[in-house]
Amino acid sequence: MSLFSVLSIGASGMAAQRIRAEILTQNLANAETTRTPDGGPYRRQDVIFESTPAESPFSSVFNAQMEAAGGVAVSQVVTDSGAPEMRYLPGHPDANSEGYVAFPKINPAEDMVDLMGAARNYQANVAAIGAVKDMIERSMDLFR
Amino acid sequence: MLSPLAGQVERYMDLLTARQKLVASNIANADTPGYHTQDIDFQTEFQNAAGGPPRTIEVQGLQVKNDGNDVSLDRESRLLSENAMRFQLASNLLRSEMRILRSAIQEGGKTS
Amino acid sequence: MPAPILPVSPAALPDAIRLPGESAGSGAFQDVLAGAIHSVEAFGQDASASVQRFLAGEGEELHSTIMATQRAELSFELFQQVRNKVVSAYQEIMRMQM
Repeated sequence: MSLFSVLSIGASGMAAQRIRAEILTQNLANAETTRTPDGGPYRRQDVIFESTPAESPFSSVFNAQMEAAGGVAVSQVVTDSGAPEMRYLPGHPDANSEGYVAFPKINPAEDMVDLMGAARNYQANVAAIGAVKDMIERSMDLFR
Repeated sequence: MLSPLAGQVERYMDLLTARQKLVASNIANADTPGYHTQDIDFQTEFQNAAGGPPRTIEVQGLQVKNDGNDVSLDRESRLLSENAMRFQLASNLLRSEMRILRSAIQEGGKTS
Repeated sequence: MPAPILPVSPAALPDAIRLPGESAGSGAFQDVLAGAIHSVEAFGQDASASVQRFLAGEGEELHSTIMATQRAELSFELFQQVRNKVVSAYQEIMRMQM
């Protein structure tokens, strides 16, 4: 791989972490949502990451064979299919016949920590791109 | 043209580049389940006069998380900076040598 | 009557500038020029090959390509200086022979 293709590795990292952050933010915003357009409470979502081979429009097929794991991508977004959390609130507009309301099964503290992790990893990818860009520029400095 | 040492410095830069690529991959895959941190055995590869692309190895002794991922962002960030600085040093060494050689060539041309 | 001044071809140059008394086999100037030309060609070919590999995306590192082209430039600059020296030495000798 050339140094240039490493830029796309960093970019893939940024993209993946951004999607992760968006999903986590969505979870946090809907931690108390008892009614969705599909009916029922909001269901927590999660992202699954997967390594992708490093690719660049400029590499040849020959070169692609020598590469180990390169970038990353979100392979799927999974929705929690478990039972929702039931709370006894008889006066609630979404209460069922027994007076229970179905709430999303979300632990906001957990998702908050994950969100901070996503932000930190996003920054790390930005730093990686910066470092590689710097190395490319230093190489160019070898010209007189 | 240029000293044999310049060839060594170039090899050094090749290895730093290979290492930095793996660091970038590790950082991008810091949350990928089952991903193992990758690196090269820098010293061994540098001693190896044969050259050619270095061998990618899986780093041992790292703490493994529940999902099988063992990337330490602290380790990767440290390596990112270190590789970048060493690369800067190496390129400065080469520039310096080229400046001296070019100067010697041009000076040689002036006396008549 | 001095010998007529003949046009000197590049091939004849090394012979013409050989000092009287020097053995025919030394060809010091000739060796220097030939060596420099060979060097320039070799570095030039290395640089071309390196650029080709880089453009084709075959894993050639940027700094390697740049260093190859810099070596080619430097060897050419050196050759130019050597050639200039050789030519001015020849001219000096021709003046002496007058």
